Amino acid sequence: MSTELADLNLNRRPVYKKWQELLISRDISNFSVEEVNNIDETIGLFDNEQHLLATGSIAGNVLKYIAIKAGHEENGAIFNQIVTELTNRLVRRGFTHFFVFTKPEYSHSFKFVGFQELASSRFGVVLEKGTTTITDYLMSLPHSPNQAEKSVAAIVMHANPFTLGHQFLVRKAAQENDLVYVFVVKNDASLFSTEERMRLVQEGTKEWKNVFVVSGADYLVSYATFPAYFLKTPDDVIKYQTTLDARIFRDLIAPALNIKKRYLGTEPFSHTTGIYNQTLLRELPPAVQPIVLERKKSAEGKLITATEVRMAIKERKVENISHFIPQTTMTFIKDNIDNLEKRIKKGMKISGN
Amino acid sequence: MEIKNTAIAGTLESSDIQIMLSQGNNGIEIELESEVKAKFGAQINAVITETLKQYEIENAKVKAVDKGALDCVIKARTITVAQRALGIADQPAWEVF
Repeated sequence: MSTELADLNLNRRPVYKKWQELLISRDISNFSVEEVNNIDETIGLFDNEQHLLATGSIAGNVLKYIAIKAGHEENGAIFNQIVTELTNRLVRRGFTHFFVFTKPEYSHSFKFVGFQELASSRFGVVLEKGTTTITDYLMSLPHSPNQAEKSVAAIVMHANPFTLGHQFLVRKAAQENDLVYVFVVKNDASLFSTEERMRLVQEGTKEWKNVFVVSGADYLVSYATFPAYFLKTPDDVIKYQTTLDARIFRDLIAPALNIKKRYLGTEPFSHTTGIYNQTLLRELPPAVQPIVLERKKSAEGKLITATEVRMAIKERKVENISHFIPQTTMTFIKDNIDNLEKRIKKGMKISGN
Repeated sequence: MEIKNTAIAGTLESSDIQIMLSQGNNGIEIELESEVKAKFGAQINAVITETLKQYEIENAKVKAVDKGALDCVIKARTITVAQRALGIADQPAWEVF
């Protein structure tokens, strides 16, 4: 049987229908607009009668929507061909480190072509391949002498931007532990870029000498492992993604750094973060003890949220939020107000997380 | 020679090998995935190492997924990935062939 590999243009209705039919027949059913719009490239493998035998897509550094028509799935060659093509396309786009989410029963097929499993749950697994892997990432993080004997805590934050609420969490953790890792979520789809957010966290936590501010890379609330944080997503998908995120932290990151506690802020507003917190409370103990702190209120008793800060920037009412953010963040916003406003005008979403 | 960027060559199809080459700092470190690793792993590693040595690559991380490639294929894929990683894909090093 001769086959042909081709690009699929999902904007064309008949192509989209064929593609969706194949995926549905293989039990893949999430076709939310956000997920589908996020796809960068899709390929299809056709037989000589133009039947779609297999497909696969890439979105950022993630392989997605991989399916092989029933009756052909025993044929490992088709799977290998699809994964090869997707891999080559990722490398051409400059990604040398990539991820795949799949059902537990397909995990071994990916392991067979060089992927390594990061975490698994009943509903799915996440695997990675390439450089640098989680082992390299963990080795690249700063360590302190005798870390194994110290009490070490972690906080994961998006800090978009860094507020007094974030500062409060860090202060608490820094006072109660020998060492604190602050993992800043890596994602440039936010109003404040990763680099800016890292800088503001560093500046806002300078007074505590026992705090390491590090990137969460692709392993903590990243676009790769937890896309629901950034895209509107049904609850069961959020639960599944947060479970994998929590398990990567619990099983790989925490043991490598001797992290025994994780500080969380209560989440009154964001639905997704609310579910994330519930998942962490369920998954982390007993290996890691979650410590939940009431969300910080401003002097007037208003809850501090980064969303409110972004809204104020949009409305050019920065003076209204002076009691929400530390001086360091305020200075940055004032110095860059035109630039930030431009990003909002260009369509940067400010309402999300 | 210094590896400039991470590169990839080869496929995951039968009788081929996919090799990813990136910077390292601890000699030539090879991670090999192969169904015949027990029997031919040492030989595959030797071909890769030997070929990289000809490019005077002293430090590198190699991730290889073998699907039953013959030595000549392994060598060809290593040459390609080395040329790409060194940024000299347009200047073939004839003496290595």
